[in-house]
Amino acid sequence: MRATRRSLIAGLPFLTLADARAQRAPGQFRFGLSAFPPSVQAWANTGTAAATVKLLIHRGLLSYDTAGKLRGELAEAWSNEGAATWVFRLRPNAVFQNGDPVTAADIRWNLEQMAAERSTAFYRNEMQGIERIETPDERTVRITMKTPVATLPYWMASYHMGMVSRRSTPQQQIGAGPFILRGQERGTFMDLAAFDRYYKPGLPRLKDIRIIAYADETLRVAALQAGDVDLIEYVPWQSMAGIEADSRLTLDAVFGPFMYLVFNATRGPLADARVRRAIAHAIRRDDIVKAAFFGRGAPLEGLPIAPQSEFFDAELARGWHFDPALARRLLAEAGVAGGFTTSILATAQYGMHKDTAEVVQQSLAAIGIQAELRLPDWATRVNLGNRGQYEIAVQGTATDNNDPDGISNLVDGSLSPSYVRSLGLRVPALEEAMAAARAEFDPARRKVLYRDAQRIALQEVPICGLAWRSQGYAMPKTVTGFRNMPGALSFFSGITLEETAIAG
Amino acid sequence: MRRLWLPGGLVLLVVLVALAAPLLGLPDPIRQDVARRLAGPMPGSPLGRDEFGRDVLSRLVWGARASLTVAFASAAIACVVGTLLGLLGGWFRGLGEFFAVRSMDVLLCFPPVLLALLVVTLLGPGSGTLILVLAALYLPGFVRVTWAEVLSARSHDYVEAVRALGAPTHRILLRTVLPNIAGPVLVQLSLAVASAVVLESGLSFLGLGVVPPEPSWGLMIRGARGTMAQAPLLLLWPCLALSLTILAMNLLCDALRDAADPRTAPAAPPRWVDRLLPGLLPPPRADAVLSMQGLTIEIVTPRGTIRPVEDVSLSVRAGETLAVVGESGSGKSLTALAAMGLLPPAARPVAGAAWFQGRDLLRLEEAEHRRLRGSAIAMVFQDPMSSLNPVHRIGDQVAEAIRAHQPLSARAARARAVDLLRRTGIADPDRRARAFPHELSGGMRQRVMIAMAIANRPALLIADEPTTALDVTVQAQILDLLAGLQRETGMALVFITHNLGVVAEIADRVTVLYAGQVVEEGTVAEVFGAPLHPYTAALLAAVPEGDGMAAGIPGTVPPPQDLPPGCRFAPRCPHAAPACDAPQLLAERAGRAVRCTRADELALAA
Amino acid sequence: MIWAAQRLAVSLLLVWCVASIVFLAIHLVPGDPAELLLSSGGVAPDPAAVAELRERLGLDRPLLDQYVAFLAGLPRGDLGASLVDDYPVLDEILLRLPRTLELIGAGALLAVLIGIPAGTRAALHRGGAFDRFASALAALLLAVPVFVVGTLLVLVFAQMLRWMPAGGYVPLAQDPGRHLLLLSLPALAIGKGLVAVVFRMTRTAVLDMLARDHVRTARAKGLPPGRILRRHVVRNALTPVLTVLALQMGSLLGGTVLVEYVFNWPGLSTPLLRAVEARDYPMVVGIVLVISALFVLLNLVMDLIYALLDPRVRRA
Repeated sequence: MRATRRSLIAGLPFLTLADARAQRAPGQFRFGLSAFPPSVQAWANTGTAAATVKLLIHRGLLSYDTAGKLRGELAEAWSNEGAATWVFRLRPNAVFQNGDPVTAADIRWNLEQMAAERSTAFYRNEMQGIERIETPDERTVRITMKTPVATLPYWMASYHMGMVSRRSTPQQQIGAGPFILRGQERGTFMDLAAFDRYYKPGLPRLKDIRIIAYADETLRVAALQAGDVDLIEYVPWQSMAGIEADSRLTLDAVFGPFMYLVFNATRGPLADARVRRAIAHAIRRDDIVKAAFFGRGAPLEGLPIAPQSEFFDAELARGWHFDPALARRLLAEAGVAGGFTTSILATAQYGMHKDTAEVVQQSLAAIGIQAELRLPDWATRVNLGNRGQYEIAVQGTATDNNDPDGISNLVDGSLSPSYVRSLGLRVPALEEAMAAARAEFDPARRKVLYRDAQRIALQEVPICGLAWRSQGYAMPKTVTGFRNMPGALSFFSGITLEETAIAG
Repeated sequence: MRRLWLPGGLVLLVVLVALAAPLLGLPDPIRQDVARRLAGPMPGSPLGRDEFGRDVLSRLVWGARASLTVAFASAAIACVVGTLLGLLGGWFRGLGEFFAVRSMDVLLCFPPVLLALLVVTLLGPGSGTLILVLAALYLPGFVRVTWAEVLSARSHDYVEAVRALGAPTHRILLRTVLPNIAGPVLVQLSLAVASAVVLESGLSFLGLGVVPPEPSWGLMIRGARGTMAQAPLLLLWPCLALSLTILAMNLLCDALRDAADPRTAPAAPPRWVDRLLPGLLPPPRADAVLSMQGLTIEIVTPRGTIRPVEDVSLSVRAGETLAVVGESGSGKSLTALAAMGLLPPAARPVAGAAWFQGRDLLRLEEAEHRRLRGSAIAMVFQDPMSSLNPVHRIGDQVAEAIRAHQPLSARAARARAVDLLRRTGIADPDRRARAFPHELSGGMRQRVMIAMAIANRPALLIADEPTTALDVTVQAQILDLLAGLQRETGMALVFITHNLGVVAEIADRVTVLYAGQVVEEGTVAEVFGAPLHPYTAALLAAVPEGDGMAAGIPGTVPPPQDLPPGCRFAPRCPHAAPACDAPQLLAERAGRAVRCTRADELALAA
Repeated sequence: MIWAAQRLAVSLLLVWCVASIVFLAIHLVPGDPAELLLSSGGVAPDPAAVAELRERLGLDRPLLDQYVAFLAGLPRGDLGASLVDDYPVLDEILLRLPRTLELIGAGALLAVLIGIPAGTRAALHRGGAFDRFASALAALLLAVPVFVVGTLLVLVFAQMLRWMPAGGYVPLAQDPGRHLLLLSLPALAIGKGLVAVVFRMTRTAVLDMLARDHVRTARAKGLPPGRILRRHVVRNALTPVLTVLALQMGSLLGGTVLVEYVFNWPGLSTPLLRAVEARDYPMVVGIVLVISALFVLLNLVMDLIYALLDPRVRRA
């Protein structure tokens, strides 16, 4: 019985597709994604493709403008009262896609659900840090944290913090965003239509959006060039020059995500910070940029803090500059002058991981470290990483936002073991500095704290930065209003689809 | 043999280059030089550099090692194990068959990509894993092919014969069955090697193949696809290397199969000049239906030109039966086929004429000859089972013969076919017309063949050992049938046989062939009563009582490439003398002819 | 009748074997669906959340329990639901399978239409210009991987000439013209290997047939060459050719992944690959189960076709 009902419900979107337009319908905007979103559940993390769609359907309290600054969404104003309390003032005209107004009680319900026992919300831990939520009136939400959190507005701006109606079902979440999910074929495409009561007047500009998954990057570009789609994400690096040269097309690319190395510091030479520093100084990062990213990237010789960030420090950012002589000296100091044998875990499933690993392997060989490449599929690689069954591993990611606190997830050894962090690598001083900066509201003092954190990291090498990589969107020149958001916010770019229009 | 050289050499070259990779002094195939990535041809790198600035030529050569190791090893493992399983399954049937063949079904049920994914994720990527996966993928193909071939080979006469002789099973499998299934297995092998290299690249494309930075052709293709727009040549080199290797493999397998099975050897192009030369031979005997004079057939073989038929003359009148007698290899079948225009592609008539209804059959255009075949001249072959097409109903096959020469509707032709079947003594012809050849007995099949042959009232019927494959009682029935039909229609009958008992029963005249030459000719009564040639005498002496095989002459017929200069029978002749070392001529004497200088001195009529 | 029942039993056993092996193997392979699901986008999941998700998905139960539950669902046609999004496995298969079959069918059609005539011609003029050219071309087709051919086709026809869309799918009922247009390139890509294989097999089989006695009989009847070729050579050569074609088609059932990937053809291979990558156990096992059942069915159909083509088989 359960199966029958479920298949009925799940079958519905498909049934409505009988009349779906696969060919370009007038006014339909077609967006080629790199993957099909496994789900568009508002709070769960199911990858960046899902994030893009979530930004169409859902809105949270806050978001970012195209300059990367926080801006109000469901909340029109926000401020902190004392160290641990934040107050959000909701806008009056926001409604869910079923017509219900968005109230303070709705927000409270959402935050409670995220923190609940069986929740799969990405921010569950963070939400469990909430002491209490007060709703003095329909439009005011007052959140008091157990400890002071300066970065709470960034959390609220995350695409994992979309607010949904209390009348949502697990199958159908009712959001408050500019587009409504009309139908989909699992794994292939999704159809969205404009929500006519969206709270921003005149928006969204587009009437219909069809999201199509093009897993093959070459085909994704071909589809754009053939005119099958109006926008693609994850422009492959090798195609960027061609798109730039094409008078009909626009490329919008930013340095956002980055590649780095993590270490298993529980045993062997890698437990020694000097060996890790030697590795950090030995890698030809220019080669990674050229070979893996076709020059569409930049060396990352420190912690991943973007140059445009106010916390960026030009000198610290070059802390791990290429210096093989220094690398050899450091190895000698650590007592492994002749190098040693180790392995590099990456995945062959993603070309950039494989290519990066190949350059790292060559670089290490140059200072005498013989590393064998291990390239299982992604699932195995994640599993091996989480279980700590590796020596050195290549990893790529983007931080949640442009605030340096996003890095703590990667360098904080006190967190549970994970494939995104080094294993058994505790740097208490670094953990303290990061925690202090998180609780610090004064920007000047935060700057100092993060500078300290960077210094410590350069010595201890909890992760080894390799390269920034360019994250690009491409579209015909007739498309206006779409913007690639700066830095780590690139994956938030879907938010600008509400202002996107297409001429002709 | 010559055809093996080129592809064999090519495959050998690829293998040698791959093996010699370390000795060729090529740059390090994994050494990166990113500053020169995608560089074109340059000193030291004639094919340029790849996306990491590695030398393409060096990677191509070293890649051959990885790719070919994977391809050959997996194909070889699959071939050996698969053939073995198929042999065992096909030979022993029962439980062995169940496990050998059904387990393959389980393997076949797996989508290949899934199988690869599972094995690779379980064992980790690498060449070893890849060999295992690919071998598993190709295994069922080999098992199936071998199994099917063994099943059909089991029922073949030669296998039955060897079995009956009590040969041990493994010897039968290895010596008798294996060579006969070599063809399909070799084709399978070349396909497996080819697709192994391609699959390797596909799996590498999915990240499941050879582990970088070790070069392999598949990895090179995968890498080059990314930079296709910038450096299309990077894609060309490994694809080209792959195609050439596969082509060479295919050619080699073809050549090997031909070497193992001469049946399929290619035709020598016909020499048109021969067809244009007018016959410089005497005109035919006026009353003969077929008059063949001085027929000589040449076959070009790799070891030189042979003449399996030389200067053969024979003739037959309407209503007359001519028996052509000789051991295997005497050229009697080739002579008949020459008259039919059905010589194998390698054999060419180089001299002589075969006059039939005023036309020389040896110089007829194919289209003209075809109009005669099956109508004015018809032929019945030795093995009715293999001579009938197994996939068509016999009624259709007879009707087809009728419609090839008469403008009849399908219905009318069918009715005629049923009528013909009745005339050839097939009971219940209506029902039998719908039967397939395998549903009939041997005698029945030969009746069908005869029905087909007489379908268009031929003036001449050539029967090539029509009763040899049949048992004795059936033989007699068929002979009666032929004799009866001849009486009814007045056709001339050329009856080819090595069975003298049959000759005595059916023939008016007899022509004895030995090693491609006529040695004696005359009426049956005269020749059998008083043979003039020692060979004829020996043949007659070897017949025990009534009907039997001419088996008792010591020695064998000399092979056509190794004929004695003089009398060809001399090495086996009890009466051989120095005079026999000179070439012998066919001498006419009183309506008979004999090819023996000593015919007069010998008194052979015993 | 008994034979048919026996045959059916063996088939069911076969499918059960395959499903069980896959069930076991996919669970043995390292990787954890819950962990993967929460790790999307290269972020670190909370171990407590992973544990809870495992529990909710029933992954914490003993493997045997899961296996029994899986078997228990089969008679009801319940193949379970995806671990990723709770989507019923059967619905996914029913939606996508026809598209993969269509792709394979179109490729096979090309193989029959091109491979058999070309193979016959090459065999008849063995060693001639056509034979050499076609054999070399077949080697080339076999040598160039499908993802390269696919990419080249897209590059030429979609990007450069702009004659065709770069890929995708439209249901036949909705727009037949565009459906066929979208089908043409992937069908070519699938067909190129099939054509090459069928070509080679036809060439071999025809060469073999040409040397058979019954062909000599046909010539002795004075049949026109065309008729001999059709009825007595090609007709008889079809059995081995179709055997090979059927084997190839069978292996394509779950093996069109590269073509589907390169042309964005939403068939069954892509979800299979994705499901393995995501360790979506029910989806993997369900798809493999259906594919192997289809494979068994294909074998049965092939046996029927054999019986039609070769009356000798009918006895068995």
